Amino acid sequence: MDYDVVIIGSGPGGYIAAVRCGQLGLKTAIIEKYETLGGTCLNVGCIPSKALLDSSEHYFNATHTFAAHGIELKDLQVNLPQMINRKGEVVKQTTDGIKFLMKKNKVTTYQGMGSFVNKNTILITDKNGGTQQITSKNIVIATGSKPASIPSIPLDKKRIITSTEALNLKEVPKHLIVIGAGVIGAELGSVYGRLGAKVSFVEFAGSMIPTMDGTMGKELQRAMKKLDTDFYFNHKVTSVENKGDEVVVIADNNKGGTLTLSGDYCLVAIGRKPYTEGLNLEKAGVQKDERGRIVVDEHLQTNVPGIYAIGDVIRGAMLAHKAEEEGVFVAETIVGQKPHINYLLIPNVVYTWPEVAGVGYTEEELKAKGIAYKTGAFPFKASGRARASMDTDGTVKVLADKQTDEILGVHMIGPRTADMIAEAVVAMEFRASAEDIGRMSHAHPTYTEALKEACLAATDNRALNI
Amino acid sequence: MSLEVKVPSVGESITEVTIASWHKRDGDSVNADDVLCELESDKATFELNAESAGILRILVQEGETVPIGTLICRIEEKNGVQPAAKPVEKAAPKVEPTTPNTNRTPAITENKTQSMQETPQTTEVVEMKVPAVGESISEVTIANWTKKDGDQVQLDDVLCEIESDKATFELTAEASGTLRIVAQAGTTLAIGDLICKIEKGAAAGNGTQGGGVTPSKEMYSAPKEVLKEENKKSEEPGTQPAQTTPVADNQKTSSTSYATGHASPAAAKILAEKGIYNKEIKGTGIDGRITKADAVQAEKTQPKAPAGPQETAKPAVNQATASVPGSREQRRQKMTQLRKTVSRRLVAVKNETAMLTTFNEVDMKPIMEMRAKYKDKFKEKYNVGLGFMSFFTKAVCVALQEWPAVNAMIDGDEIVYNDFVDISIAVSAPKGLVVPVVRNAEQLSFAQIEAEIIRLAGRARDNKMTIEEMTGGTFTITNGGVFGSMMSTPIINAPQSAILGMHNIIERPVAINGQVEIRPMMYVALSYDHRIIDGRESVSFLVRVKQLLEDPARLLLGI
Ligand SMILES: Cc1cc2nc3c(=O)[nH]c(=O)nc-3n(C[C@H](O)[C@H](O)[C@H](O)COP(=O)(O)OP(=O)(O)OC[C@H]3O[C@@H](n4cnc5c(N)ncnc54)[C@H](O)[C@@H]3O)c2cc1C
Repeated sequence: MDYDVVIIGSGPGGYIAAVRCGQLGLKTAIIEKYETLGGTCLNVGCIPSKALLDSSEHYFNATHTFAAHGIELKDLQVNLPQMINRKGEVVKQTTDGIKFLMKKNKVTTYQGMGSFVNKNTILITDKNGGTQQITSKNIVIATGSKPASIPSIPLDKKRIITSTEALNLKEVPKHLIVIGAGVIGAELGSVYGRLGAKVSFVEFAGSMIPTMDGTMGKELQRAMKKLDTDFYFNHKVTSVENKGDEVVVIADNNKGGTLTLSGDYCLVAIGRKPYTEGLNLEKAGVQKDERGRIVVDEHLQTNVPGIYAIGDVIRGAMLAHKAEEEGVFVAETIVGQKPHINYLLIPNVVYTWPEVAGVGYTEEELKAKGIAYKTGAFPFKASGRARASMDTDGTVKVLADKQTDEILGVHMIGPRTADMIAEAVVAMEFRASAEDIGRMSHAHPTYTEALKEACLAATDNRALNI
Repeated sequence: MSLEVKVPSVGESITEVTIASWHKRDGDSVNADDVLCELESDKATFELNAESAGILRILVQEGETVPIGTLICRIEEKNGVQPAAKPVEKAAPKVEPTTPNTNRTPAITENKTQSMQETPQTTEVVEMKVPAVGESISEVTIANWTKKDGDQVQLDDVLCEIESDKATFELTAEASGTLRIVAQAGTTLAIGDLICKIEKGAAAGNGTQGGGVTPSKEMYSAPKEVLKEENKKSEEPGTQPAQTTPVADNQKTSSTSYATGHASPAAAKILAEKGIYNKEIKGTGIDGRITKADAVQAEKTQPKAPAGPQETAKPAVNQATASVPGSREQRRQKMTQLRKTVSRRLVAVKNETAMLTTFNEVDMKPIMEMRAKYKDKFKEKYNVGLGFMSFFTKAVCVALQEWPAVNAMIDGDEIVYNDFVDISIAVSAPKGLVVPVVRNAEQLSFAQIEAEIIRLAGRARDNKMTIEEMTGGTFTITNGGVFGSMMSTPIINAPQSAILGMHNIIERPVAINGQVEIRPMMYVALSYDHRIIDGRESVSFLVRVKQLLEDPARLLLGI
């Protein structure tokens, strides 16, 4: 078979690219080695983790805040198998949805491992070893990423686990040691912390979610203290050992000391690495960089004309919505359109509770660049809506250009900030000033008023409700 | 009261739609939610429903392609039907003098009534509508605006250029005052549709921003050069977006801001695809931001750079001819209305006639000798050169009168024979091919024919051709030879039935009285509609033309 476009990998990058190619009238095929479509995000990432985050948050509220709301419950219990089942249902519905989308957009789906034969030919090997070849004018590599590991941390996937196993545990750990307090560690640590586990975070950097604005990490850590959590920052893990029912983690701190922790599970969440195994990139001559990422130009084209790469397998944030934007970008580029992506305005989101979300420059970045800025903040404590729902942790911080008042960054931690960040993205895409948002009506009472107030604070220090 | 129905925005990246079919007819009475028409984009087909009940007034016909936002029909409320006349928005708004109330809190902006935004003093508004530009022309496209919305214009100033499928003409101001553009460049309008309004003597305010008391920020401000423009390169993944450099504030005037000239995401994509830099266009959004509509329009006004004083000519942007050596970029350009019509017509002719072509060759030696001999005298006497066209025209006239079917046309079930000969001459003009008509060519002298052709060609080059000058030919001559064509099969210029193709003159060996001689030869082709012209007629016609050209004395003697 000959196609206009063949996409390898059906994660948010690949399947969105396929949909857009279909919309644009291209003869399109997608290859997925896994049994269901949707990639990391739908099967073992965004969606299942959010399902468990919601379930565990309900349990946490039932045990901690319902009484204050006037709801009394007795004999409350966690039914972890049911939580995992429900999560499985959510995943199934979502991945079935992708199947439907492929059909709707007339995209041919191949199940099997895709590998290059040459720059226009892909060999598909199914799980029984059957093979077939297809050819295409354009090929999009969207093979995503896999959990990273280092030699000192041998993953056994039983006690020393990655996020994938953490989404399918049979029991709530008593003591979960999380290596890496980034997004995935913070989210999955929260899940089991809320269900009653003691959670110890061992992190090489000096704070939680270290790539986000500094205030966010501090605030998140404060909020996480409500759970049974310990934090060991500036620690480098030197060994992790499975001793049967126990895992022992040893780490050096930056002052010459050594930390020894023992728990029943160790979640390794030190990041993810681009996944290109089995693709036979060399057959097509596609180059990778020193970190194993496929090298692309500003049109997301690799060094081989007609071969593109998107999502986690290339440079940039490993986020589903970033991969999606790139999927659309590539499809449109192939038909000769000139789309663009403003990478600065791809929001970062952490689905802990409170949620964390940020877009644009962090305060640290503005300082490093020497840009004169002003800050406005508004704490959820002062929000009527937050008080009503007892979600008063967190704050919204707006960074604006000192001279022009243009919004340069928005960072928020609090209830539903993952949804709220969209307003900041829209504003920044149109280069709004802080005062612009300060002059737009926000429904009362809502969490979004906090953004308006923070903008007023940034404009002229004239927040109204504090 | 009438409700305006515009093409809704139907999805990202869709900038125009084609009216696939009207489900209701003009003048039909429609109910709310009735399906009015089917719209087609390059991605999907969808239906447009009536938002209210009333009488449908269709403004854009089936098959037309129009940009998002174009007014395509009106629904007039049934009681008080005003058939043709559209409600005249007589200004003198019913505003109790809303002298800006300085006590009002600055934050409150009332824009419930349009009129609140008008300057309180009474303004007389002149509505300018698409004039009737010639029979058979039912619609026109606004090619580009030479004045901007909000500009002060004087009586007779050229406001915009209007294109029909036959000609381009200029619209001049019918009054002095402030221009309010209603139909944007690129919009296709029916005769009688509103193009713009001129507010007589109105103060040049910005009519679009509400609340007189907001700090004065002019909406339409020129992009500032100081601003670092977002250019494609700097948006390279991983790097910061180009814009955030704080710009010297002291240079700021009330009419511009750091965001002046910033394109919205959709606008940026459209501009990139057109190869237009943000700097080259003026944003109409808040503080001069470039909106999607600005970008959609940008292409159309592009080729003619607005003659602003500070506009130091920007070379080669978006010019179809510009080609960078080594580049493999592709550029896309919208078809002009003229081009679209031409293409539609040509295909229609191929599909709807039984067209075929017969060939012959002409020994040009006699004409060339005659020309060489008399051309100076001719020029001296008539002040025009003696070209080949007059010979061909005269020969064709004689032959057409002998073979009237070739000079006839089909009209429904009837054949219309023409007892006169109006020759259409294909001339290439800057915007494409035009075909002016030499009337009653059978009665004209050689000199008159030459003079008329020169006059018409000059007007075509200057885009001055009127519709009348291009309608009504009975037969067409086209000369591909001027570009070097040796042989071609021209397409009939409907509703005519035949066209003669001239070609280049090449010296070829030919047999003359058993001897091989080198002669200047031209192939001639006659494409004709076999439905009304039989082979005998067409071939005989062409042989006759050949005879007359090879022995021009026959023209004189009529034999
Ligand atoms: C626990 C967890 C939670 C996350 N939560 C979020 C979140 O809340 N929000 C967010 O934005 N991001 C989240 N992410 C990140 C997100 O999942 C990734 O950024 C996203 O999935 C990347 O999409 P992709 O299309 O590049 O690749 P992937 O989703 O990784 O998809 C790649 C696909 O390609 C297939 N494949 C690989 N090689 C081949 C081959 N040779 N032939 C055929 N198929 C092949 C793989 O099987 C896979 O299905 C999370 C990740 C994890 C692990």
